[in-house]
Amino acid sequence: MNLERVPNEEKLNLCRKYYLGGFAFLPFLWLVNVVWFFREAFVKPPYTEQQHIKTYVKRSALGLLLWVAALTTWITIFQHFRAQWGEVADYLSFTIPLGIP
Amino acid sequence: SESGQPSLLLTCLHICPLPGVGCSSVQQKIYVQLNKTFPCVRLLNATHQIGCQSSVSGDTGVLHVLETETDLDWVLSSGPNPPYVVLMVAEHFNRSTMMKLKGSARVAGVAVVISKAGPAQGFSPHHSCPNQNSGVYSDSYGPELAGCNVTVWNPLGNSLSYEDFRFPIFSLHEGEEADVIRKCFLDHNRGVNGSDPAYPLCAMQLASHMYAVKDTATCMRRNDIQSRFSISPEFVCDALADYNVWSSLKPLNNSGKGHLDGESVVIAATRLDSRSFFWNEAPGGESAVGGFVTLLAAAQALRAVVEDHPPSQNILFTFFQGETFDYIGSSRMVYDMENGKFVIDLDNIHSLVEIGQVALHRNGQLWLHSDPVSRRNSSVRSESTALNLSLSVAEPDVSQPLPPSSFQRFLRARPIPGVVLTDHMSAFSNRYYESLYDDAEYLNVSYPSGLSPEEQLEYVTDTAKTLAEVATLVARSLYKQAGGLDDHLSSINADPKIVTQMLYGFLVQSNNSWFRSLVSPDIVKNLGDPVKMPTWLVQYVLANFTGTLRNLTQTQCKNPEDLEGESKDLYSYFWVQGPVPPNSTQGEGYCVRAPVRLVKAHSPAFELHQYSSRDYSTWTESRWKQIQARIFLVASRDLEMLTLGVGVAVLLVSLVVTYFINSKADLLFSSSRETTSTAY
Repeated sequence: MNLERVPNEEKLNLCRKYYLGGFAFLPFLWLVNVVWFFREAFVKPPYTEQQHIKTYVKRSALGLLLWVAALTTWITIFQHFRAQWGEVADYLSFTIPLGIP
Repeated sequence: SESGQPSLLLTCLHICPLPGVGCSSVQQKIYVQLNKTFPCVRLLNATHQIGCQSSVSGDTGVLHVLETETDLDWVLSSGPNPPYVVLMVAEHFNRSTMMKLKGSARVAGVAVVISKAGPAQGFSPHHSCPNQNSGVYSDSYGPELAGCNVTVWNPLGNSLSYEDFRFPIFSLHEGEEADVIRKCFLDHNRGVNGSDPAYPLCAMQLASHMYAVKDTATCMRRNDIQSRFSISPEFVCDALADYNVWSSLKPLNNSGKGHLDGESVVIAATRLDSRSFFWNEAPGGESAVGGFVTLLAAAQALRAVVEDHPPSQNILFTFFQGETFDYIGSSRMVYDMENGKFVIDLDNIHSLVEIGQVALHRNGQLWLHSDPVSRRNSSVRSESTALNLSLSVAEPDVSQPLPPSSFQRFLRARPIPGVVLTDHMSAFSNRYYESLYDDAEYLNVSYPSGLSPEEQLEYVTDTAKTLAEVATLVARSLYKQAGGLDDHLSSINADPKIVTQMLYGFLVQSNNSWFRSLVSPDIVKNLGDPVKMPTWLVQYVLANFTGTLRNLTQTQCKNPEDLEGESKDLYSYFWVQGPVPPNSTQGEGYCVRAPVRLVKAHSPAFELHQYSSRDYSTWTESRWKQIQARIFLVASRDLEMLTLGVGVAVLLVSLVVTYFINSKADLLFSSSRETTSTAY
């Protein structure tokens, strides 16, 4: 969708939908929000709805950052300790690699 | 598996049709597949993993032939092109060399060339104290006898089969493939005048990626997870399991399980299986074949008296499978007897006679081993039955424990009187116990040259004659032990002709006319080469020896329930091919009725889901997808990096050039004629 032809009200609507949607454990929506509306929020000359859009983009970025930190930590821990955890790790795994502990 | 491919180093005239159509000609020019190789695979038990592992697509290393100590140094420290794949002859396949290679990071794999005869000093990759934790001697039963404190049964054992190697180990036999590999090494991998060898070098790739890791509990858990949560489950290991074969002199009703009132049984036991370091290669001549051939011949010999003068007690012939791996078969039978799932109970057992390793006896001397802890006075009295045979039987020292035998599992449950018959007094006479060299040649089963296969089948070797005498001794002892009278002993004689036919079939070539006549017509195609899984073959041979011909058609033979005089509870019915008449290709087919049955030889640990059990065998074998070995020439790392670098450079240059051409496109491609503008 080309944001150039969308009226400002609808832009705000979209941004809000993506922001709210990200709370349903969907951080990728927040990533899309940040990337798509970055230019609208910070680069374009100001218009009425821009303040709201700016807040949404900032909050999406914050949420995204938290998710990235949490996932990176968990993935690092799991990859490092999976072999040691034995049974628990096997029940947590979706695919267990063959031939290594 | 890949089809045979011609060697690139021998001149080949294999002409491929148009490249890309039909066969991959470039691949044929690069790789030489090795077809007659056997890998070492991974096995797991409750606590350990043993065997070998490779990476997913195989381990590649520069080939090096091991002949002297300097070669070993080359591989371990001084060679300039690690990692290496070591090609060694069987003399170097010993514990010290393999441990040094195991500890080095510069070894990518090992290929062992197996010669016909083993090393003269003996070689046994098994433990020096076989099955020491699964026998009867433990801290609570004869502790001073446990752990081979009194007798080391297998002194030549170096436990190589039970080590865990992180690189693949393959075996090759002497022949064309080994020569091709050596030629490749001599042509490419030897430096000129003492200098380092120059690239391209000959390399070997060994692939035997095993799926299971750590121990049985882990792999069974992963199997369970796969079967429950996966759409297409991919199991990682399988429990070692097969069937025990059993038969009785007087038929037992198979539908009744548990204690059989009034029945007293003498069990005649032996084992069917063996192993070696490599997968699916287990000739087991002295360790298994000698024993079960003797018992089969004894069962046939007893047939002479079973009709007219049957003994007062019954005799149960049992052939256990899986005894090498902590007594899988016998522990399962004892478990079934304890839980009332077998035709008889442990209380029905009067005594037990086991045939151990008997084929290598010196000067006709055999030994009867018994358990010092539970020794009873009413042991087998077979000294008197050894008269009129050229064998003498003696008992070893009173303080010596039982050798590793299935009898030990029975003793764990009940103090049953019993003996184990062997050809060794203390340590095994078998110098190649559980190795590749325990084959026909080691047992002296050899034939004069110039005989056709059919003539070889009929030729009675000396080994067959001596084993037939042992079988006669066993049969007479069993008869006497089961309450038979002395007057009929002389009519019990094992036939050397049958023994030599069995030895030929189980050790040399199983696709022979006698075996073909014993089995059913659709199984005939499974015969070929020394047979790897003798369970069903032993079943048919035993059926032939203890069974009778019935006048039934094939459909009747399958379902004889309604016929008079036939009972599926007492007997099994087999449709066998029969002897092939001279002017046709297939036998007529006959129905044989015999009291021979198969029972599962699956460790109780898997029935009870106790995968870390210390009481029962927990051995499993890993699964795998692809096993292959091939040789090819490799280029140096520098050349590879250079090729990659040039490729990347060409890519970047082409991107830059494309960008410039694109941006100046109108300048470069302006045409002289008018551009017609079409409205859109």
